[in-house]
Order: sequence, then structure tokens, then C-alpha cells
Amino acid sequence: MRGHGFLLANYVPGDSLIHRCPLVLKFLLVFGCGLASFLIVDWLVSAAVLAVMCGLYLLTGAGPRRLFGAIRPLLLVLPVIGLFQWWQLGGPTAARIVLNILVCIVAASLLTATTPMQRLLDGVVSLATPFRRFGADPERFALTIAVMLRSIPYIAGAFSDVRDSARARGLERNPRALVLPVFITTVAFARQTGEALAARGLGDADD
Amino acid sequence: MAISFRKATVAVDVDNHPEPKTLLHGVTLELTERRIGVIGANGSGKSTLLRLVNGLVQPSAGAVAVDGDDTVRAVRAVRRNVGFVFTDPLSQLVMPTGREDVELSLRRSIRNGAERRRLAEAALERFGLLGLADQSIYELSGGERQLMALAAVLAVNPSVLVLDEPSTLLDLRNRELLRRTLAGLEQQILMSTHDLELALDMDRVLVIEAGRVVFDGGPAAAVDRYRTLCAEGLAAP
Repeated sequence: MRGHGFLLANYVPGDSLIHRCPLVLKFLLVFGCGLASFLIVDWLVSAAVLAVMCGLYLLTGAGPRRLFGAIRPLLLVLPVIGLFQWWQLGGPTAARIVLNILVCIVAASLLTATTPMQRLLDGVVSLATPFRRFGADPERFALTIAVMLRSIPYIAGAFSDVRDSARARGLERNPRALVLPVFITTVAFARQTGEALAARGLGDADD
Repeated sequence: MAISFRKATVAVDVDNHPEPKTLLHGVTLELTERRIGVIGANGSGKSTLLRLVNGLVQPSAGAVAVDGDDTVRAVRAVRRNVGFVFTDPLSQLVMPTGREDVELSLRRSIRNGAERRRLAEAALERFGLLGLADQSIYELSGGERQLMALAAVLAVNPSVLVLDEPSTLLDLRNRELLRRTLAGLEQQILMSTHDLELALDMDRVLVIEAGRVVFDGGPAAAVDRYRTLCAEGLAAP
């Protein structure tokens, strides 16, 4: 099973200013970029924000290869989105939408590349703690995020494997030969993950 | 630590069959030895027997207890005592890197992040895995992944370690590495395996056939019995 098709960058140890930045500021940066993608109306502003985010990313020392690796999985989808939006809403809007998606991805990658997973989970636990009074379990929030981050590369890897296997049988143009096995693999993976977590006592109500 | 099976039966519903299928038939055992092996053909009920010990499978009838804790009524206490290692470490390693996965194991008991990191590093160091701690689990070899999964389970220091065919996906070198690692552990070990050499390292070996324990005794006699069963199976029309 391949597992490298990860949308966000994995943690890169370092001592940059962004590494040392409080987690809450990084969360706010990601939140702000998400919000800005709805508010920015000029594609030139989007391009400028993207340039700033890429600059910040490179300041972390993670390198342009990792930055490209973070956005590479989108390179097939973004032209389709861009062309559709161009056809529907015109060039400037299409450019703005595509650039805003890239801003969000780079911002999220900046967070994951400079924050160890456990610190990220601790942050999620802190953010979710106020919901404890409503019966929520903050550790379960963190576990959900962890499982989500783990599942993305697995499913991407499953898709690559299934695509290769469909190609080998000359079925690469048959959507059923692609979608159904990925769906079955994903369900099996969900079951296995649930079992693995249960075996380790993770996610129990008293945790 | 004593693992007790009292007439433990596991039956599951099967599509298009009116009667449930029995995977394990009224097993009664008292396991107190340090190294216990379980051998048998594919589908004989080995994994079901092992999963009962951690509460991953519940008995349809009878009971299973670990150190007096019932695996249904006191499943949390049981899981604190019993670590479980799966055949495929990729099913078990939940986090992108080994360090993060070991730390995830420790989240249940250690709230302090710095302490968690220290203990995770100690657990990885113990297996010589500290150098691979930040590598993606997909970039590790099969043996390294299996050891990483073992480190994540042992980080919380369980009293019993259950391993479901841990060497099946490993090459000869990694199998030997796993064998040496298991030999050095202080935990009580209950392990299913198709590796008969590994089975010979055990203090007691159970042979399972069609959901029943057909032999329970020393490793050499158990392996002989298993070989005979296999030969009989091949000879049958």
C-alpha cells in the first residue's frame, strides 16, 4: 500500500520563528486564511496573500520541495475547478478561487509542518475543553483529527493501488473498477483502525 | 498473570445461513505460563481466541478473564493490562510517524506533553528505533514497522502481550529480529503464529482446529501434532 499522497505537509523539526510561534496564532492564521477566501474579491490580493504564505512557509526551512509536495495532489483538480469557474464566472473570479484554495492549503501546511502532531492534538484538546460541559470529550476530538490526518494518505495510497491494478487489467476507463475497490478498502481500513484504537483503549469514554 | 477461559464460545451470524457459525467451541483454559503459543490452520479460530483476551471479541457464551477481570464487564481494566499487536502494523499504527504513534499510546495515561515525549523516546530507544522516530511509517521496512507497533503497545507497559501472527509479513531477517525482541520481553506473551520455529520457543503451545483446542502441551509435541493434522488434511480426499 502506498501512502505518500498526503495533502498537507508532515512535521519538519526546526527552530524557525514560525516553529516557535504559539499554536493559537497558527490556528488563527489558518482560520484567517479560510475566512479571507470568502472575503477577498480581487485575484491580485489573493496572489499577494499566496506569495506571503509561501514566503512564510519557506522561512520555516521546510524547503520548496515539501511546499510543492503539499500542493501537488491538487494539481489535477485545480485546473478543472479553474476552467469550470472561468466558463461560469470569468477569468478573474476563476483565478481568485484557485488562488484562495492554494492559500488555504499552504496555510494548513504551514501549521502541520511546524507543529508536532501531539502539540496539535493538545491544542485541539484545549480548544474543545469548553465543550466538556455539554458532555463532549476533548480527547475524542483530538483522536478524530489524528485519525482523519492518518486516513488521507492511506486512502490516497489505496486509490493509487487500485488505479494501477485497473490499468493492469485494461479497466482504467471503468469508474466502477476504480471507485468500488477504493470504497471497500476504505471501509475495511475504517474497521481496522477502529479495532486498533479499541485494542489500545484509545477513545474510551473515561479517557 | 492468569488468563482464564471458562467454556468460552464464539458464534457469529452468517448471511444466508439460518444458524450462527461457531468459531470457537466452549474453550476452557487456564494460561499462566510466560510464553504461550497458538498454532493452527487459517480460519481455525486462533485470532478469535486471541481477540477474546483483549475484549475485541466477546464470548457468545462462557467467559474470559485476565487476572480476574472479566473481558466484557471490565474491558477497560483488561485493555490497560493487555497489549495487542496485529499482523499488519499498518492497521495498527494510527499516526504518520512512530514517535507520534507511541505518544498517542501514552495520551491515555500521561497528560504532560514533555513527560510523554520523554517516555516515548525511552520506549523507542529500547528497541533501537529512535533514529527512525520521525520517519513516515510508510518509509519503514516491514520489520521496522512491526517493531514500531510493538514499541507503541509496550510504551504503556502492559502485563500481557497478545500477538496475532506478528511474523507473517516479515522476511527471514526481520522475523529473527522479532524473535529476539520477544525473547527479551518481561511480559507474559500469548501469540498465534504459522512460524513453527517461533512456536518452539514457547513454554506451552495450543493447537487449534475447527474452533477447538485439540492439543495443549509442550511446544515440540504440539508442533508434531500440528504437522500430523496438516498431513491428514492433505491426505483426505
